[in-house]
Amino acid sequence: MHAPHRTEPPRLTADADPSSRLLILAVAGLVLTAIGYFVDHEQFYFSYLAAFSFVASLALGSLFLVMIHHITRSSWAVSLRRIPETFMVNILWVAIMFIPVVLGMHTLYHWTHADAVAADALLQGKAPYLNVPFYLVRNVFFFAVWSFFAWKMYRNSLELDATGDWGIDTLQRKYAAPGIFIFGFSVAFASFDWLMSLDPHWFSTMFGVYFFAMSFQATLAAIILVALFLKNRNQTAGLVTDNHIADVGRLLFGFTVFYAYIAWCQFFLIYYANIPEETLWFYHRMEGGYEYITYGLLIGRFIVPFVVLLNAKSKSNMSLLKGVAIWVLFIHFVEQHWIVMPVHHHHLAPHWLDLTAIAGLGGLFLWLFFRRLGKAGLVAVNDPKFHESQPHH
Amino acid sequence: MSQSTTYVPEPALVKGNHTFGSITALIADISEKPAPTWWYIAFGAANLLLGLLLVLIGYLVYEGTGIWGITNPVGWGWAIINFVWWVGIGHAGTLISAILFLFRQGWRTAINRFAEAMTIFAVICALVFPGIHIGRIWVAYWMFPIPNSMQMWPNFNSPLLWDVFAVSTYFTVSLLFWFVGLVPDFATLRDRVKSKLAAKIYGVLALGWTGGNRQWQNYEKSYMILAGLATPLVLSVHTIVSFDFAVSIIPGWHTTIFPPYFVAGAIFSGFAMVMTLMLIARKLYGLKDIMTDDHVEKMNLIILVTGNMVGFAYIMEFFIAWYSGVTYEKAAFINRAMGPYAWAYWTMFLCNVISPQFFWSKKMRRNIKVSFILSIVVNIGMWFERFVITVTSLAQDFLPSSWGYYSPTWVDIGTYIGTFGLFFTFFLLFLRFMPMVAIAEIKMVMPQADPHHYDEKHG
Repeated sequence: MHAPHRTEPPRLTADADPSSRLLILAVAGLVLTAIGYFVDHEQFYFSYLAAFSFVASLALGSLFLVMIHHITRSSWAVSLRRIPETFMVNILWVAIMFIPVVLGMHTLYHWTHADAVAADALLQGKAPYLNVPFYLVRNVFFFAVWSFFAWKMYRNSLELDATGDWGIDTLQRKYAAPGIFIFGFSVAFASFDWLMSLDPHWFSTMFGVYFFAMSFQATLAAIILVALFLKNRNQTAGLVTDNHIADVGRLLFGFTVFYAYIAWCQFFLIYYANIPEETLWFYHRMEGGYEYITYGLLIGRFIVPFVVLLNAKSKSNMSLLKGVAIWVLFIHFVEQHWIVMPVHHHHLAPHWLDLTAIAGLGGLFLWLFFRRLGKAGLVAVNDPKFHESQPHH
Repeated sequence: MSQSTTYVPEPALVKGNHTFGSITALIADISEKPAPTWWYIAFGAANLLLGLLLVLIGYLVYEGTGIWGITNPVGWGWAIINFVWWVGIGHAGTLISAILFLFRQGWRTAINRFAEAMTIFAVICALVFPGIHIGRIWVAYWMFPIPNSMQMWPNFNSPLLWDVFAVSTYFTVSLLFWFVGLVPDFATLRDRVKSKLAAKIYGVLALGWTGGNRQWQNYEKSYMILAGLATPLVLSVHTIVSFDFAVSIIPGWHTTIFPPYFVAGAIFSGFAMVMTLMLIARKLYGLKDIMTDDHVEKMNLIILVTGNMVGFAYIMEFFIAWYSGVTYEKAAFINRAMGPYAWAYWTMFLCNVISPQFFWSKKMRRNIKVSFILSIVVNIGMWFERFVITVTSLAQDFLPSSWGYYSPTWVDIGTYIGTFGLFFTFFLLFLRFMPMVAIAEIKMVMPQADPHHYDEKHG
């Protein structure tokens, strides 16, 4: 079945396209970060991993959002969907951004040291899983699977734009359903590899869910910001309204609570049981200045957005929503720092490389995003549920 | 470019070209007409089981918990298993009524009333078990922090106390939510029943509802607020229940994924129970136009999703038990899968993780027989999940000299079966005297409610 009238989607105009500015940011950030490698290569790898985790979480959160959108056959997000779709395709580039992490494995991951493993019965026990070849195989597999689903679903969406063939909507669901199943396991195990195994003695069954929860909260904030950016520059021909963005705000509120629930339960169960093999991870984050971030996360990542967004009106207040979204992304970055850095510095020691790494990777990520966004329509106007997603009825 | 798939439009939520009047009649007539014979038979059977429950509780109070199979170290036996199982079943009602409402899922209106009633009765059944497991039942009120001259206080650090608060809050909010939703429908019944006494009773329950504009506005607002309040309760209640286990340092109990895993499991079993009850009720009362096969399919999808979440948690637990390198964790999980209770573990795994996988197929999701059988299989599996968690970790704990094999006594089994009597006594009364579908709400999602519905035929 085809759309009754195929229409042309609005496109990003050259004057609104921030690509050139983002490219400058990306190049400046990456060059400085590269210089930083020669200044302090250990710091370089840790700062890089935190920034990598930040951008990867946005691509993965978007992949989840697009898949859940199709599975639930939701209509409200159709006019916004091109934003997470374009984010999720960036997973192909995130796979390339992963190469420096692989190169820095020896610095980042204690379990790669043969002498450390030889002297540590626990690490010997984990060696069948925590070894370099298997780590590489797993991660190649993860990126291949994510790239496959992201690319297929992105191409299908553009195909629907071009042909107005409504059958593609059904096809998307056929990708999304098994996709989300594989997504759950792969993201959990990837988060074990990237972040949990930084402290190879520590373990938490919740960690995969925790990584997903914070990624998704941050993804919603990123989508709000891009949607506001496009709308304020009149790029979407009025097809993205304040109501659509307010709906993302409502989800942001819900997933702020979900994040807090998951993060708090993980902390609380470990705190309450108080057995040394688990508490050490939090112990390192409760001393040496990291305790300020720990309490800051409780206040900044949960209480502040919760209180601000609780009121129904605040989700329709676009400037307020913008402020909250920027804040959530900022604190998401701080949380990556808080997860990664205590492994390297026992005392809170922010480094200029932390900033250049996120400027470089974040700038690159956004540049790739806007470049791709500029090549396709900004709104999936030929989607069968597009009409339903518009406010005029 | 041609795709092999075709576009599938959203199906209508109410089938059979009903009018508003015929929908009201379909549902409200059930309480007006005399009860069918099967109802009396079922009610009698439920009463017998309820009697069994009361007798066994009396025996327990007289004799003490020694008549149960519990031992040292298995101090928590069937009582906690049944408690968690019944509380879990209740969760689907809250999810359907609150979360699906906030997500504007129109299909919930066919089953929400029904599922909310199930929630309330399931929570009552659940509350029986901690209530009677305290030993000295005549001081059950000590569970509450009541100021007293002996300076006796419950342990505020204990999740068991938080459970008292969590479950009682949950029960109160669920009851209020259910009642608020019932008010307009009670008014419908008040206006329809012939008996004066019945009209009076429904009239009191309807709180003077006339269906005025102002009343609807207040109704919608309070419904929204209650939905907002009930939503965190979906998470909190089973989270606290999971804390009962997870805050301890018993291997197999102490694992951080327990809270969301328990919540997913609760919704999983609750949807299965709604499915079982719905398939029976829609057949007996001829409600297939309201509780359509599309509803069955949607619910099976939720069963598939939550079943996979539970499967995810099983696999995470197993993987991390190995990955942790902790001897006791590893031993606990190997013992689960290969020890004396391996039969229970694999029953659980088969019922909860393997059986829902049938629902990947659209044909299976829409097959009523398969849906009915699997909905029961899932609840058997979820009972075994709690059995595996509770018993395997306790029966083989840190001290091998006290290891043993836990078996229930006939009293354990009889008490559990008796709670079905309690549940179905309430549920059958509900089916008999209350509108089992939200009449006012279902009308809002009928195709006929679309202002343009009748236009289309004339072009």
